[in-house]
Amino acid sequence: MKVQLMRRLGVLAAALVLSPSALAGDPARGQAKSTVCAACHGVDGNSPTPEFPRIGGQYEDYLLQALLAYKHGERKNPIMASQVESLSRQDLADLAAWYASQPGLVFKR
Amino acid sequence: MQRRHLLVAIALAGTFTLASAVGGDPVAAKGKLSACIGCHGIPGYRTGYPEVYAVPKLGGQHPEYIVRALQAYKSGERSHPSMQGIAGSLSDQDMADLAAYYGGVK
Repeated sequence: MKVQLMRRLGVLAAALVLSPSALAGDPARGQAKSTVCAACHGVDGNSPTPEFPRIGGQYEDYLLQALLAYKHGERKNPIMASQVESLSRQDLADLAAWYASQPGLVFKR
Repeated sequence: MQRRHLLVAIALAGTFTLASAVGGDPVAAKGKLSACIGCHGIPGYRTGYPEVYAVPKLGGQHPEYIVRALQAYKSGERSHPSMQGIAGSLSDQDMADLAAYYGGVK
């Protein structure tokens, strides 16, 4: 009886661990939400013009931090502010995961 | 004849001004990196307060964008205590050189 309960709990724990977290960013969901971003930043985050920064390959948590800073008004840019206004934290996390998964920026010593 | 010389001189002056405004020297940047590498030169280095996050990768970024970011830190338009302090001590030439260094992928 006890063994059966433990087994069920084990299955439940595994399901929780393996299911995509609601908070972590998901690159596939991010890609689906990235259409508007692509107009300036390029399809994979490698913007073709210096007017807009490359974001492909950037660290995921740095991208999320920057997006949240725009959303909270700590970082000021009229274009970015209006873009992130209607996006949830989950949307921003998904977008950060998508661009971080793309090739582009590299670490340079 | 003299007029042609004048035209050449004007053309050369124009090219030179353009080059020095946009083009930084990645080699000259080597002597100016000391303030940068403590954070940007450590792979995956994390900083920030209260939220901690990775210091951004700069390799391959558009040099013009890097210059604008440094100017925004210097003017206080963009806030980050360490970046404001460091950018505040950089000249336009320093910024161009550093941007040329980091903007190049290699």
